[in-house]
Amino acid sequence: MAVQSEPDYSLFTAQEIEFVAEDELIEIVPNMRMDPLNLICGDFGPFLPQIAAQVPLWLAVALKKRGKCTIRPPEWMSVEKLTHVLEAERDSEREFQSLPFHYVEISRLLFDHARDDIPDGYMVRSLTEDIRDVRFHKVQSSLESFDGRTSAVQIKSLSAMEVNIVRPFVARALQSFQKLDSLLPDTDSMPNNQPQQADKAAKGRRVLRGR
Amino acid sequence: MGSYYDVDDIIAEEEPVSAVFQKPANGVGIDPSAEKNCVDQGSKVELPFWLANELCQRNAVSVLVPPCFDEKTRLEIQADPACVDLRSRSPYFYEFGCKMVPIVADRTLGFLLFSAFRSRYKDVLTKAHTASHVAAPKILSRLTKEEVNLYEAAQSSVAAFKKWRIGGRRFHPASVLGRKRRSEE
Repeated sequence: MAVQSEPDYSLFTAQEIEFVAEDELIEIVPNMRMDPLNLICGDFGPFLPQIAAQVPLWLAVALKKRGKCTIRPPEWMSVEKLTHVLEAERDSEREFQSLPFHYVEISRLLFDHARDDIPDGYMVRSLTEDIRDVRFHKVQSSLESFDGRTSAVQIKSLSAMEVNIVRPFVARALQSFQKLDSLLPDTDSMPNNQPQQADKAAKGRRVLRGR
Repeated sequence: MGSYYDVDDIIAEEEPVSAVFQKPANGVGIDPSAEKNCVDQGSKVELPFWLANELCQRNAVSVLVPPCFDEKTRLEIQADPACVDLRSRSPYFYEFGCKMVPIVADRTLGFLLFSAFRSRYKDVLTKAHTASHVAAPKILSRLTKEEVNLYEAAQSSVAAFKKWRIGGRRFHPASVLGRKRRSEE
């Protein structure tokens, strides 16, 4: 692995995430004949010229580097699809569009190694960058809305890289919030301690009755 | 709370607080203004927090709210939390505050800390993600230790991502490989 992660800051480095993303399956069109490969993660092949096969991304990249195949970009990596996604991302304030979990890494790997296999490469590239920027901005603004009682953050269909970027901040911020929040009940509920307890008891009873 | 060996935690406990002695204490030289080697009842002495805390638990002193949580600071925090220079008040504003809450009589202190952090962390977040390296020292000079940690956590992950996106060397050779063998003497 390229760079080891620092234990303090984040769980994974970008390189490690990229490594994980290389296990995603992708379609290739080989131009050579090869027997099936029996790997721990599964059996791939047999490879026959001009007959598409599903392989992990790392294998696809390795074959591509040797000029043994062309990579078929995944369905979501077309100008149409991406334009649609970008528009939808811009329209909705909070919702995230569903994209593959590793879309940032997959697009980067494909642009690095198989640029000639992507139709309208330039457009696709700028679209993915735009989508990523819009989404990241949304992540930021949703992180700004923490309040005291937040103990967890739920954002749907966030991608691996986006999660990884905000992880160290979120973990620390929530920790601080929890610490400061634990001071509050002692301070502001002192005068009306009794009613709150009664309320809690009532809630407990209600739950029991409901069951 | 921090662990036993946490340096920040130890330094935070060094913050001076003023305490009023409820009982006379003999044979201690902690009051520099006293003529004799004892502290009278009702005298006000600056003590480091760790000492004041211990004495307070034995009901020997009562602790006053330290100046970094005074009325002026509160008003400033209410007016514009992001611009208040908390570092000059106390670099361990939150940690110290957390420790003070159980021993001072002021019930609003916890809420002050909480609301200050809630309104300041957003600013830390946006600045960490957008500000350039040049502007960083100016921003950091206003933040407390805890906020600086937060800033650096956010900033380093964004920087790492940008570095990855731009690319560069994909494989780093192990550090032992590049080294020249030392010639035999």
